[in-house]
Amino acid sequence: MIRVGVDVGGTFTDVVLERTRAAGEDQQIVVHKVPSTPHDQSEGVVKGVVEICQMAGIAPGEIDMVFHGTTVATNMVIERKGAEVGMITTRGFRDILHMARHKRPHNFSLQFDVPWQSKPLVKRRNRLPVTERIMPPDGRVEVPLDTDEVKAAAELFAKRGLDAVIVGFLFAFLNDEHEQKAKEIVEAAMPDAYVCCSSEIVNVIREYERFSTCAMNAYIGPMTARYMRQLEGRLREAGVRAVVRIMQSNGGISTVENAIQRPVGLLLSGPAGGVIGGRWTGEHAGTQNVITIDIGGTSADISVIQDGELRIKNPRDTEVASLPVLVPMIDIDAIGAGGGSIAYLDPGGAFRVGPRSAGADPGPACYGKGGDEPTVTDAQVVLGRLDPEQFLGGDLAIDPALSERAIATHIAGPMGLSVTDAALGILRIINNNMALAINNNSVAKGIDPRNFSLMGFGGAGPLHGTALAELISARDVISPLQPGITAAMGLLVTDLQYEYTHSVLLVLNQAGEAEFEALNAAMDELRAQADAQLEADGIPPGARRFRKVAECRYLGQGFELRADMPEGPLGKDNVQEVIKSFFDAHQQVYGHAFEDQLTEAVTLRLIATAEVDMLRLPDLAQGGRTDPEDAVLYVRDTVFDDGEARPTPRYRRDRLLAGDRVTGPALIVQHNSTTLLPPGYAAEVLGHGDMRVAKQG
Amino acid sequence: MTREVDPITLQVIGGALHAIAEQMGNVLYRMSYSSIIRESQDLGAGLFDKDFNTLCESDSTPMHIGSLPGYLRGIARTIPIDGWQPGDCVIHNHPYAGASHSPDIAIVMPVFFEGELIGFSANTAHHVDIGAATPGLIIDVPDMYAEGMLMDGLKLFEAGKRNEALWKFIFDNTRVPSLVKGDLEAQIASAELGVRRFQELLATYGKDQVIQATRQLMDYTESMLRREIAKIPDGDYTAEGFLDDDGRNRGKHLPIKVTVRVRGDGVEVDLTGSSDQVPTAFNVPFEGSTNVACFFAFRALLLDTYTHEEHIPQNEGSFRPVKVTAPLGSIYNPIAPVAAEARFCQIQRVVDLIIKALAPVIPEKATAGNAATLSFAAFSGVRPSGDYWVFLEVNEAAMGGRPTSDGPDTVEELMRNTRNNPLEDLGMHLPLICDRYEVRDDVAPGAGKFRGGAGVVKAQRYLTPGFMTHESDRHDDAPWGVFGGKEGAVGKLEIYNVARPDEIASEPAKFSGRRTQPGDVVAYFSPSGGGYGDPLERDPAKVLDDVLDGFITVQHALDDYGVVLDEVDDGYGWQVNAGATEARRAGRGAP
Repeated sequence: MIRVGVDVGGTFTDVVLERTRAAGEDQQIVVHKVPSTPHDQSEGVVKGVVEICQMAGIAPGEIDMVFHGTTVATNMVIERKGAEVGMITTRGFRDILHMARHKRPHNFSLQFDVPWQSKPLVKRRNRLPVTERIMPPDGRVEVPLDTDEVKAAAELFAKRGLDAVIVGFLFAFLNDEHEQKAKEIVEAAMPDAYVCCSSEIVNVIREYERFSTCAMNAYIGPMTARYMRQLEGRLREAGVRAVVRIMQSNGGISTVENAIQRPVGLLLSGPAGGVIGGRWTGEHAGTQNVITIDIGGTSADISVIQDGELRIKNPRDTEVASLPVLVPMIDIDAIGAGGGSIAYLDPGGAFRVGPRSAGADPGPACYGKGGDEPTVTDAQVVLGRLDPEQFLGGDLAIDPALSERAIATHIAGPMGLSVTDAALGILRIINNNMALAINNNSVAKGIDPRNFSLMGFGGAGPLHGTALAELISARDVISPLQPGITAAMGLLVTDLQYEYTHSVLLVLNQAGEAEFEALNAAMDELRAQADAQLEADGIPPGARRFRKVAECRYLGQGFELRADMPEGPLGKDNVQEVIKSFFDAHQQVYGHAFEDQLTEAVTLRLIATAEVDMLRLPDLAQGGRTDPEDAVLYVRDTVFDDGEARPTPRYRRDRLLAGDRVTGPALIVQHNSTTLLPPGYAAEVLGHGDMRVAKQG
Repeated sequence: MTREVDPITLQVIGGALHAIAEQMGNVLYRMSYSSIIRESQDLGAGLFDKDFNTLCESDSTPMHIGSLPGYLRGIARTIPIDGWQPGDCVIHNHPYAGASHSPDIAIVMPVFFEGELIGFSANTAHHVDIGAATPGLIIDVPDMYAEGMLMDGLKLFEAGKRNEALWKFIFDNTRVPSLVKGDLEAQIASAELGVRRFQELLATYGKDQVIQATRQLMDYTESMLRREIAKIPDGDYTAEGFLDDDGRNRGKHLPIKVTVRVRGDGVEVDLTGSSDQVPTAFNVPFEGSTNVACFFAFRALLLDTYTHEEHIPQNEGSFRPVKVTAPLGSIYNPIAPVAAEARFCQIQRVVDLIIKALAPVIPEKATAGNAATLSFAAFSGVRPSGDYWVFLEVNEAAMGGRPTSDGPDTVEELMRNTRNNPLEDLGMHLPLICDRYEVRDDVAPGAGKFRGGAGVVKAQRYLTPGFMTHESDRHDDAPWGVFGGKEGAVGKLEIYNVARPDEIASEPAKFSGRRTQPGDVVAYFSPSGGGYGDPLERDPAKVLDDVLDGFITVQHALDDYGVVLDEVDDGYGWQVNAGATEARRAGRGAP
C-alpha cells in the first residue's frame, strides 16, 4: 500500500509518502517540500507528488491513495473570487443575508466595514422573493409556493448567466417541501447551474445562519468542483491512478464527490491536518491531552485535544471571513502571531508585537529582502536561537547583522534597552499573546492545561514550546518528529467522516411516546443517509462507526452544548442519560449546572466515521544515551530568558536515537525546525523520534 | 512610590485584564436565558479598583461600557468601603444612584486578596421585566416608582450566605421570574469568574505590580485619547436638533443642544439649552447614561478601532479627558422622583450631535447624520396557563454616509450594538410571527458622494391577544446630510390587522401599554441615514449598482445624482449612459 498526503500552505506544499509492504517487511516514509502555486494549487500538488515518487523510487501509478488538505475554498472566500449566485427566498424576507444579525463588527468605530454588505455572497439584485409561507411550530403550509414566480426567477437568472442558485425559505427546517420543489424548477430551467437549498446543506433553525451557510456553499461550489476535477485530471495525466480523498473542517476525510456537493465543509481543510497530526503524535507520546499550536509566518493556529478527541467548535461560533458557516469545524483559533510578526513602538510609546506581519515577502529583516522592521524571527536570530547555517538546513541565507540593526534602530535605541533585552522583550510579548490565546481556547472553556502537553509545530513551534508551556502551566512539551510537516502527516492518519443534522426543538423532560418516536425516526433517517454515503464509499457495514449527539440547552437559553445520546432508541427510560450528559457539558463550560431546569434538545446530529489505514512510523534504534557526543554539531552562545548567554551545544536531531536524553541548555536542529531546550529542561527521545521536553527534577 | 512597571510586563498584565473581561462577558451572555441578553448581548462586565476606576471591560454593548463606576459610587452611599466582606454579592439598579436605567441590573462582588479589599468584579445586564407599570418597557408613567423594583445596594449574598427573602421578593415582583432567575445566575457566575481570575492575576504578578500596571494602563489610554483631542483646534462647536415628544404631550418637540468645548487636550460636552426634564419616563439618568454617551462619542470618533491598528485598553483613562455638563432638572440630568427609564433615543442624539458639531473640523473622522435612534419594542401577553410572556425586541436603523464609504444599511448604530433575534427561534417559542423583515425601500437613503444607509422595515403579527409598549423617536427630525449630502428619511410606525390590511393607522414613535388583538401587525420603518458629500460626485457605477439592487429608483438616480441610465436587455435592465451623465452633471455644475 502506498499512500501520499499533500498539504498546501501559503508558501510551501508539503508532501509525505508512506509505503507499507507485507507484514514483517520494511516500511518507507519520504517527506518533501515544493513551493506552492497560488494561481492553481493543483500544479504544486502534482509536482510534489511526482517528485516524491522519484525520491521514493516508485512510479506514480503505484500510489494507492492521495490525501489532500486544501485552502482553495477558503481563499476563494477571503479573496471574494467565488461564483455569481442567485437566491430565491420567501416574500417579505429578501434581505436576511444583507442584515445578518444587525450587529456591527466594531463597537468603537464609525468608519468600520460591514463585510456582508460591502462584499455580499449574493447581491440584492440576485435575491428574488417568491410567494410561499410555511408556519411554525409544525411546518404547515399557510401559503402554497407560487411555482410560476419560481420559474420566472430561474429564467431571469439564466438570462443573467449566473453560475449558481440557492433556495432559502423561512422555516424550511420544519418542512422542506417548498425548497425541494423550487430547486427542481430551477434545475430544469438552468441545467448547468450549481443549485442547492438551505435545508439540505444544513437543516437547522435560525434563518440567517442557514441561508448564509447555503450561500457560502453555492459561492464556492462551482469553482471548487472545477478545482477538484482539474486536480484529478492533472494527477491522471501524471500517471497517478490513486483514489483521492479530501480533508474536511471537521477533521474527517471525504470523497471528491462529497467535497463537490458540500464544499462548505472544506473551509478549514488546510489547518485541520495539523491538529490531527497533533493528536496522532500525542498518542505516540502516550498522552491523550494535547494543546497544539501551529506557528507559521503570520499566524498561529491553536487547538485542544482532550481524551484523544478533537474539540469541535460550538456551531454558534463557526464563521469564515466574518460570515457564519454552520458546519462542524475543529475548534481552531487563529491569532496574528508568528515568526514574521513585527515589533514596534506605537505612537503612545507602547511596545507592540504583531498582528502586523512581514510575511514571506519582504520577510524578517534578516532575509535581506528589504524588510527593515524587526520581527520575532529576528529576535530569535539575535539571541542565538536560530543559527544562519541551520535556517531551512542552510537553504535560505540570512544575515544576523540585519536583525541586530533592526532591533537596535526600532526598539532598543528608543527604549534605552540593550539589543538583547529588546529581543527578549519581543519574545516575551509574542509568547504572552499566544499564551492568552491558548487560555481563551482552554481555561476559558473549562480545560485545565496542567493536565495537557503542549505541542508546538510548524517550523517555529519548537522554539516557543517551553516558554508557552511555562506561561500556561502545561504539563510538558512535545516536539514532533517532523515539526515542519506535521499537517501533511496528519492527512495520513485521518478517518472518513460525515455529519448529518436535523432540528427537533423538544423539551426532553416532558417528551411523550409520540415525540420520542418522531425523534427516533428522524435519527433513523440520518442513519440511513449516512449508510448510503458510506456504502457509496465502499466501506463494509462492520467498519462503520456512528456517534449520536443531541445539541441541548436549558429551555429558554440561546446557546446549545453537545450531549451524547445512548446507542439504542431514546425513550422515557434512558432520556436522563442525555440530560446528564448535557449537565456535565454545562458544568464544564460555565462552571455551573442547574439540576432543576428543563433541558431542550435543539438539533440532532449523527457523526458517521470509518477508519482507514493509519500511517505507521518506524521504530528508532535504541540509544539510551545522555547528551550523546556524536550528535553534537558545534557549541555556540545562546541567550535564554534570564538574559544570560551560555555556551550551548547544537544537536543533530537525525543522529538521536530512542531513549536518548538531551539536557539543556541545548538546541536540537533539523532541516525544517529547531527545538529550544533552556537550562533546567531535558528532552527525551521517544520510540518513533518524537521528543518529550520537561523540566528536570 | 511603587516602581514603574516595565513596558513588557505592562503588556502582559494588560493582555490578561482584557482577557478576563472578555471571558466574563462571554459567560454572561452564553449562560443567560432572556433573548435581550443572550442574543442582543445587552450587557457589560469588568473589573474595578477600590476607587471605582474601570480596569478592564468586556467589548459588549457600548451603552454599558463606562456605566459601572456610577453603579459602584451609588452603592457606596449604602455600603461604605469597609462594609464589604469576602463572599458578598450586591444587586443594584437605582436610577438616581448611578444606574444606567433601572432594568440594567448590576451584580457586584468584592475582590479580596490576602485579606485586603482590592477592588470589584461587576457586570450589568438588561432584564426583561422588573415589574414596571407596563410589561417590559414604560413610557407614559407618573414617576420612578412606576419603574418597578428599585434595588439600592442590597446584598443578595452576605459573606457567602444567600439572602433568601430578597431572592423571593425579586421573583415575586417580576412578570417573568424564570428568566430573571436564570439571568441573575448567569450574572453571578460571570462575577465569580472575574473575582477568581483577578485573584489569580494578583497571585502571579504581586499586588503592587498589578495595581501599578493598572494605573499605567489607564494613563496610557488617557494619553492616547488626549493626543487625538489635542489635534482638534480649540473652540466651541455647537449643534442642535429636537426629539418628537415625551410620549404624552403629542406634537411638543423637545430641543437638544450640544456644545463641545475643545481646550487643549481636554474636552467638555455641555448640554445646556436642551429640554427641561419631562413628566414621563423619557428622561436620562445623568451619571449612568448621559456621561457614558459622551465618553463613547470621543472614543468612537478619535480612537476608531477600525482605522487604528493598536488595541487600546478599555479602562478609566478613556473617560478622564471628557467632562460632561447638563443642568440639573434638564432631560439629561433629571431630579427624582421623575422616571428616567426610556433614555436611549436621547443619548443616541447626543452622540450624533457631537459628531455634527465636530464634523467641520474633523471631516475625515465624522459621518453624516445617523438614524441615531432606537426602536425598542416590548411585546407581551398572558399564556393560557396564566404565565406571562414578555419579549423585548431591538430594531436596527442605519448610519449616515462617511468620508470614504457609504453609511451601513440596517445596522445597530452608535451606543447600541445588539444582535437581532432569529425569526425562526421566535416563531417556535412565542405567539408572534414576523411578516416582513427587509431593507426599507419605500424611501431613498440620503443622497451623497457616499450615501446614507438604508433603514429597516419589520412587521410583527400577534397570534393571540397581548400588550405592547414602543420606545422610539425621530418621526419628525430627519438625519442631516453633510458637505453637500442630502438628508435621510424619518421613521414611521404603522399598525393594521391582517384581516383589514388597508386600514392602516399611523402611530407616534412612543406609546405605552397598548392592547393588541390577534392579527394585529405592528410595522416599524426606521430612519435612513443622511448623505456625505455632493451626490454629483458619486461614482456613476455605484449609482447604477444601487438602482439594480433596488435601493434607489431610476428617477432618483437622475434627479439627485445626475446619472442617466439607459434600458438594456441583459437581464438586469439598466446601464450608465456615460456621455449623457457627464453632460447632465456638467450642466448642473457643482453646488
